[in-house]
Amino acid sequence: MTDSIAVSLTHFLGMMLVIASFWMLASPQIGACIRAYATHSFFLAAITAVIASTNHVEHLMVSAVLTLVLKTIVIPHVFFRIILRLGIRKEIESYINIPFSLLLAVLLVFVSFYVTREGKILNPVSLGEFIPLAVSTVFFGMLMMTTRKKAISQVLGLLLIENGLFLMGVTMTFGMPLLVEIGIFFDVLVAGLIMGIFVFKIRGAFESINVDDMTALKG
Amino acid sequence: MTIDKVLWAPLVFAFLCLVPCPKRITRLVFMAGAALSAVGAWFFVFAPDRPECVFAFGKNLMMDALSAVFVLLITSVGVLSAAYAGGYIFGKEDAVLSPAKIRRYAFFFHLFLFTMLLTVLSNNLGIMWIAIEGTTLASAFLVNVDDKRSSIEAAWKYLILCSVGIALALFGIILVYYSAIAQAAAGEGELLLDWTFLLSRAGQLDPRVLRLAFIFILVGYGTKAGLAPFHSWLPDAHSQAPAPVSALLSGVLLSCATLGILRFHILTSAATGSSFSGTLLVFFGVLSVAVSVPFILEQKDYKRLLAYSSVEHMGLAAVGLGFGGALGIYGALLHIVNHAFTKSLLFFSSGHLLYLFQTKEIEKVRGVFRKRALLGIVFFLGALAIAGMPPFSIFVSEFLILAAGFSAKKFVACALLLILLSLVFIGFLKHASQMTLGVPENPAVLKKSLLMDSVLVAGLIVILVTGFYVPGPFQQLLQQASRVAGGGPIS
Repeated sequence: MTDSIAVSLTHFLGMMLVIASFWMLASPQIGACIRAYATHSFFLAAITAVIASTNHVEHLMVSAVLTLVLKTIVIPHVFFRIILRLGIRKEIESYINIPFSLLLAVLLVFVSFYVTREGKILNPVSLGEFIPLAVSTVFFGMLMMTTRKKAISQVLGLLLIENGLFLMGVTMTFGMPLLVEIGIFFDVLVAGLIMGIFVFKIRGAFESINVDDMTALKG
Repeated sequence: MTIDKVLWAPLVFAFLCLVPCPKRITRLVFMAGAALSAVGAWFFVFAPDRPECVFAFGKNLMMDALSAVFVLLITSVGVLSAAYAGGYIFGKEDAVLSPAKIRRYAFFFHLFLFTMLLTVLSNNLGIMWIAIEGTTLASAFLVNVDDKRSSIEAAWKYLILCSVGIALALFGIILVYYSAIAQAAAGEGELLLDWTFLLSRAGQLDPRVLRLAFIFILVGYGTKAGLAPFHSWLPDAHSQAPAPVSALLSGVLLSCATLGILRFHILTSAATGSSFSGTLLVFFGVLSVAVSVPFILEQKDYKRLLAYSSVEHMGLAAVGLGFGGALGIYGALLHIVNHAFTKSLLFFSSGHLLYLFQTKEIEKVRGVFRKRALLGIVFFLGALAIAGMPPFSIFVSEFLILAAGFSAKKFVACALLLILLSLVFIGFLKHASQMTLGVPENPAVLKKSLLMDSVLVAGLIVILVTGFYVPGPFQQLLQQASRVAGGGPIS
């Protein structure tokens, strides 16, 4: 693969990544949201793989494969099982409507380009263009966690934040050392499973999974 | 005894607890496991030929004096908590806790101890992050043992808030790694996240990147350590968890997260050569104390009262670390140790109170002295101790921290702290006297548990004695630890 092709490929993949996260914010149904997350993770894995092969970083290839297996297949599969068991088909309830949250998202993209513009302290050697994308992914995750009412979409928001941080690690330092990277993958997987179990417990105790029903503990 | 064995013991016993067998035997395995890890850790730490710093697992794990203090803390509070749980969880004769559930409780209890030990023993900052996230995951099920609505709510908030916090901390670690990689020579790739390696190269790291990283670490680990304004999960989780778990959460989990902050504080101060991180610690510490005061004064739930007092004491420890100097660091470490024992004792007695009165409301608890004299004495003295009354150990460490502040000429912070601490004192005295004095409504109906009572007595002896006298070897260890943290020797 020649360098110019690789560069335009990573640009294209980065664009698709942003589109996937917008899709996630725009989808009113949980099923679509999970699919958007899987797509987001797929492009994340693709970006990682391209970076790994153009820069000859072998351990990054392992991360790419793990991302592909865990985040595009295993976790979305588990989440589909959960919503099937819970029988959720309804729209996701949100504190703000979707056009407004998309507007906020566009704003957040501008903010992330502004705070990471050149001359600031983060100047990685070759892959600077991905840093604002990573920061905006983290912002999108936080937006999802704060505006959606269903417990399961909070977990999806958390996973989106984690994707953003992974992209940050890949672009700034070619990923963490392999041992640490594998540990982080393990933690994310276990966190996803445990939160899934808790979604069931919430459903059993509250007869819904809206987090705004959980307001008993104060003061 | 090596580092690996300190770690293996709780992990092995966690799985042993899962073996289906009669409750009596599970209970024995559960308590023996905690006792064995504690004894092993004590022998390991106080071995006469222990070098300053032991490495294991390719320098990814390490035990210096600083981690040794925390290993002792985790295993000692762990063994007290396990003994209390032996009466509290295993002694209950109700249908809510099935044998399978109790086995799961024992499993997660030991797993929780394991993740905390891994946190304090890791030299690799990435592994430390993984372990801290692990503590959240292992203890989420411990917070909701009874599957009530309120405890599910508390566990969910705990999981979500701490996971977001820890995600921000990961960003901080990526930044540290980035600044290290920029200066790395060939062949050092494996070492770049090791704390000892980073500290030896601190002069070459980019101070601007490290400052930014420290902010993210402080917010991330600060969430876990219960620093305001990121503490909102803490009162919920502490009040809903069963008493032995609350004791572990408050006594040692918060301390472990504080150790995480301390490691980065040492690194940042060395790299920037400024008091940037120290000032931030003082600011958030004072803020935590200030935030906790109104909640302590006007509290209606005694377990939440204790939880807010944890926010206060973690704030004080952060202030001590921020003041720095020999006195500040030593005082803060001593404070963490004293708080761990005093607060866990109070949480144990809250378990007794819940047993006796079947309520967590302060209003409905009256005349503990007359109902159960031992419990009344322990709770009242414990409350005086946590509020900072002179003969007890917490007074000593609070005094040291304030003295460090005065000698560092941080007069505003010290004055604020003095006012806030006296308010806390008033609050605790008010609540404790309300609860212990007076005439109880119903006569006591309680089968006594010798195990639970002896834990209370043991805890009381520890906090009484350490107020007057810190054993020689332990004092040496604390001074070594404060030297590691840049405190220098105490004259």
